[in-house]
Amino acid sequence: MPVFETNALSKHYPSVRALDELNVSIEPGIVGLVGANGAGKSTLIKLLLGLIQPTSGGAQVLGYDIRTQGLELRQYVGYMPEHDCLPPEMNATEFVAHMAQVSGLPAAASRERASEALRYAGLFEARYRQIAGYSTGMKQRAKLAQALVHDPRIVFLDEPTNGLDPAGRDDMLDLIRRTGHQMGITIVMATHLLGEIERTCDQLIVIDAGKLLHQGSVEEFTAATETLEVEVTGDPGPLASRLSAAGIEVTTEGQSVFLRPDGVAPYDLVRDSVVELGLGLVRIQQRRHTLEDLFRVEASEVEA
Amino acid sequence: MSSQHPLAQATDESSSIYDLGYRRYEGVRLGRRHAILALYRESLRAAFGLGRSWSAKVGPAILIFIALVPGLIQIIVGALIPAGEIELIRHDGYYSGIKFILALYVGVVAPDVVGRDQRTRALTLYFTRPLSRADYALGKLAAMTTAMLGITLVPQLLLFIGNALSTDDFARFASDNWDQLFPIVGTALFGSWLIASIGTAIAAQTPQRAFATVGIIVAFLLPTAIAAVFVQEFDASWTNASAFLSPLDLVDGMTYWLFRTDLSGNGSIVELSGYAPVWFGVGAGVLALTCDALLLRRYAKVQA
Repeated sequence: MPVFETNALSKHYPSVRALDELNVSIEPGIVGLVGANGAGKSTLIKLLLGLIQPTSGGAQVLGYDIRTQGLELRQYVGYMPEHDCLPPEMNATEFVAHMAQVSGLPAAASRERASEALRYAGLFEARYRQIAGYSTGMKQRAKLAQALVHDPRIVFLDEPTNGLDPAGRDDMLDLIRRTGHQMGITIVMATHLLGEIERTCDQLIVIDAGKLLHQGSVEEFTAATETLEVEVTGDPGPLASRLSAAGIEVTTEGQSVFLRPDGVAPYDLVRDSVVELGLGLVRIQQRRHTLEDLFRVEASEVEA
Repeated sequence: MSSQHPLAQATDESSSIYDLGYRRYEGVRLGRRHAILALYRESLRAAFGLGRSWSAKVGPAILIFIALVPGLIQIIVGALIPAGEIELIRHDGYYSGIKFILALYVGVVAPDVVGRDQRTRALTLYFTRPLSRADYALGKLAAMTTAMLGITLVPQLLLFIGNALSTDDFARFASDNWDQLFPIVGTALFGSWLIASIGTAIAAQTPQRAFATVGIIVAFLLPTAIAAVFVQEFDASWTNASAFLSPLDLVDGMTYWLFRTDLSGNGSIVELSGYAPVWFGVGAGVLALTCDALLLRRYAKVQA
């Protein structure tokens, strides 16, 4: 059974169609919601949470209709907004416990779970300090804790790694992965960073200008766009022709040759060719996908 | 967790930081009513600055203290001069005596009760919980009305006790004056509701604390000044109706009505306007309901 399903879900504003007849159906797991800024990611999340009302169409989350059963649904939903949402003059433990109560948990259970959720999110002694003194990373953790404190069945995270340094980013993604896989909570994570999706998610929804561009498993997608970058000193031309003679799709750019191998990456062939041509090898790496790659692939598939 | 030895837990904590645990919650979920009560309780705490720094407590505390002064004086005078019944301050004249304190109090407290969640954007978190936007608005109104009781009902009761102590015979005073308790409680509830309705309706319009405070104080004091000039200087039937636009005069008139006060010669705007006090009661009800409708409308539309 899908965790959520939208049916021609649309949200139109006077000047823009933020979401246009979206049809998606999502199975339990960790779902990446990708799109450029303004593509409609936040709009979709807000519609599913009942923060805004759809112009037309509908959706079901956990089997509840978002138009008519919002109150029941929201007992089982967690949300971590992109923006700041914590009262600076309270301490995190008190605030998260309060949020648990507002989600319907009894007072004693709320206090207990608030402490656990904050510890789980990686806030330790600081959880008794005023939020005003928190760093961005600590605030993100507290925001995650309030989204998890009432043990939701589905959690929406809007740009959860915003403003985090690389270490904080790793921690956060690790935490999200653990929450999704070990706790069995479905996570919908909006981001514009494809790298984060690859590391964390198992399903992918790509939207652009309010329309669905792609939906499927992350594996499927990365397999289709795997590119190997080989950077050499000297002229990469001969290397490119040698590799393409071996039947590999290649392009050159500056000092680099980009390979799109079918199946197993031909590391041995690359090494041997570089040695035989007397070139210096600077690096061989998996090329990082950008959103543009994704959109290019999708566009070409649409054309074909 | 409660069955586990605290030390055993501490060891777990140091050995693996994140792994101690997110646990599923199997207990009851109390839903909407519980959520509204939690919101109400927390908002009431915010009104008095509880659970926040001392600076948030100072404003309300000073104003409540000032409001208590008449009652305290009554108690002290009663204790020093034991002979006879000395009623320095009458119950029905109390609100007009502390008019400006009432306006100042709601101006200071209402922006904390309602504007704060818009300022910190915690509003988003509430609206994704199992309570409706109307529930939120009414919970806030109830909290503000209760907070007003601290400056209406509490001093009135203190005054009642002070008056009782200043007589020779406490029991006789109580039996003679118990019929005063209905108007004391009635005016406190009615007045608190009216003042809270105006304060929350204005404070909900802006996240900016300073604007809200100034707006509320102006909304109370400007009509009072206008009514005073119109009623005292022009004394025509249409100018006298301006008294109904002044919230503090409405409170005054409503108080006279519930206490069945003989107005002759007390010089109040209510007396000079020539309208029967019952109409001030009606006017107070109409104004309060209008403000409540505005408050509900604001929260039905506000972006979260």
